[in-house]
Amino acid sequence: MTVPFLKIDGIRKEYGPVVAVEDVNLTIERGELVTFLGPSGSGKSTTLYILAGFEKPTLGDIRLNGQTLLSTPSHQRNIGMVFQRYTLFPHLSVGDNIAFPLKVRRKSKADVTERVREMLKLVRLEGYEDRKPAMMSGGQQQRVALARALAYDPPILLMDEPLSALDKKLRDELQHEIRRIHHETDVTILYVTHDQEEALRLSDRIAVFSKGRIDQVGTGPELYADPATRFVAEFVGDSDFLSCRVTHSQGGRANVVLGGDFAVEGVPLHDERGTPGEGALLLRPERIDLSRSEPTGWRGLPVRVDDVTFLGSNVHVIAQTGWGETVSVRLPFGHEHISGLSRGDEAWLRFDPNEAHVFV
Amino acid sequence: MSSLTESRSVTGRQGGRRMPRLFGEVGPALPAFLLIVFFFVAPVVALLLRSVLEPVPGLQNYETLLGSATYIGVFANTFIVSTVVTAAALAIGFPVAWALVVMPMTWSRIVFAILILSMWTNLLARTYAWMVLLQRTGLINKMLMAVGLTDEPLTLVNNLTGVTIGMTYIMLPFVILPLYGVISNIDKAVLRAAALCGANRWQALTRVLLPLAAPGMAAGGLMVFVMSLGYFVTPALLGGTSNMMLAELIAQLVQSLTDWGLGSAAAFVLLLSTLVLYGLMLKFFGTSRLGGQ
Ligand SMILES: Nc1ncnc2c1ncn2[C@@H]1O[C@H](COP(=O)(O)OP(=O)(O)O)[C@@H](O)[C@H]1O
Ligand SMILES: [Mg+2]
Repeated sequence: MTVPFLKIDGIRKEYGPVVAVEDVNLTIERGELVTFLGPSGSGKSTTLYILAGFEKPTLGDIRLNGQTLLSTPSHQRNIGMVFQRYTLFPHLSVGDNIAFPLKVRRKSKADVTERVREMLKLVRLEGYEDRKPAMMSGGQQQRVALARALAYDPPILLMDEPLSALDKKLRDELQHEIRRIHHETDVTILYVTHDQEEALRLSDRIAVFSKGRIDQVGTGPELYADPATRFVAEFVGDSDFLSCRVTHSQGGRANVVLGGDFAVEGVPLHDERGTPGEGALLLRPERIDLSRSEPTGWRGLPVRVDDVTFLGSNVHVIAQTGWGETVSVRLPFGHEHISGLSRGDEAWLRFDPNEAHVFV
Repeated sequence: MSSLTESRSVTGRQGGRRMPRLFGEVGPALPAFLLIVFFFVAPVVALLLRSVLEPVPGLQNYETLLGSATYIGVFANTFIVSTVVTAAALAIGFPVAWALVVMPMTWSRIVFAILILSMWTNLLARTYAWMVLLQRTGLINKMLMAVGLTDEPLTLVNNLTGVTIGMTYIMLPFVILPLYGVISNIDKAVLRAAALCGANRWQALTRVLLPLAAPGMAAGGLMVFVMSLGYFVTPALLGGTSNMMLAELIAQLVQSLTDWGLGSAAAFVLLLSTLVLYGLMLKFFGTSRLGGQ
């Protein structure tokens, strides 16, 4: 068996009575870009800080190439990090900021100059060498921070919501840059964000954090197609949830009943040990079909249309079931049943039970 | 001038609020302004005049001062003691201020309370307390001998050592308070960034923390240095008769010898050197503080 590149092994962190992180396990391959995705307070930063050595875990171990990192102080870990806040040294110029990690490593003057130039080129800030951080925009400062963090060729780069203070346009631009730099440098990146779109756009794999635990780890499509928990289903992509009653379950599949009499059979079942018998049926809005007339070959779920919104390439329909739950449906523009569809109309919904999920 | 006053008072009235109007007008502040001129400028002018007019017009007072080894010695004492006191106060005050920033709130409150209480305690009482501590049979000598650092009690009082120790203690709050302000405003994430960049504690201190705290060091240091140059009580009580400091000299010239001319000249030299130092500091830290080159 080969030794994994980076292994986060059963990490737990308590702050007094608060359990910030609980039983976090993750194995990361060399060169991967893994995001920690989760809402605020779910333990993402704490996990990153433990990797950086700013915090010691209450339990668990971090191993890099099989060697524990916990006994190494931050300044000897040789890990790069870009923070949420701007953390450039305000008294140093851009060039001196990037040179800082090289100078504390006592690199020769020629090496430092050469490396600073390379790094400025990598983050596309040639010519900004002599500027002071205060005279640069937020986006530029984070680029410099990235250059500073990569200057000493660290095997691992940690990024804690580095773009959260920037506006949408700049964020998109820098996400693209981070992708490019990841390809060019082969550095392993652990990236924290609460923005699912950012996570989906950047990562090879996503670890979804909820309440201090990792709910699921997988690629974006894996999380979307097969969410392990209701939380993951809600957090990654758009989702519809309908309450249901489980009538029978066997071999990871369940038969459920919606609203008293609408039976759905053979839905993948995820057991979260909720109330027995009660569950939630997950549907993806773009995997639901809609018909204007009572279908003949199949049994449709009757609904009343509440709202129709045109969104360019697709149309967003909000519908209500007979018992008052709301379902949103996304149909491609030009779908046969869309033209003339309006509020108050009757319609029937169809979905494939294999693509639905039941969480109990 | 009058039109400026006029237009300000008009906007003040349009604004309709009392505060801006009250503060916008220069007129009501005039008596206070004259008072300041009288209290601050007049004595300096009087000093300057006496130093060049008494006992006869001319620069002979300055010639005496700068030409005599005794007086030069007093100036040297003053500058050396002030420099050492400033350096010591900064060296002790910086770690204390840092500790105050990072220690838990309840602890730092207690330390602050001690600092403030000591500042409220009568200066003479505090200085006499040091006299007791520093004397040959005092606590400090006893401790030094108990630990075995010395066999004989050291002469720690009635000399410049005593003056330096006592003044450093008196001056400490004046560096700790401004440094505390500056250090608590430094983003701790910047120091974490320095650590991950590979800087050990010493490198983080010298390359990041100290440069960022420099404005506070300059402000506190300047304050202490200037106060030390003219300090009287501690040198008078803890100092000896042979090694005088400038304030003592001035007091002696004026009170015992009633030589107002020479006393004034000494005071004026002190004032001038203070101003020069202040100007230098301003030139040095006034711009770097604004982030310029
Ligand atoms: N230094 C600390 N002291 C006490 N509680 C903390 C500390 N740091 C984090 N926490 C708590 O730990 C939990 C996880 O925090 P964090 O890792 O910062 O979450 P995230 O980065 O996902 O927003 C939160 O409930 C937070 O309040
Ligand atoms: Mg966070």
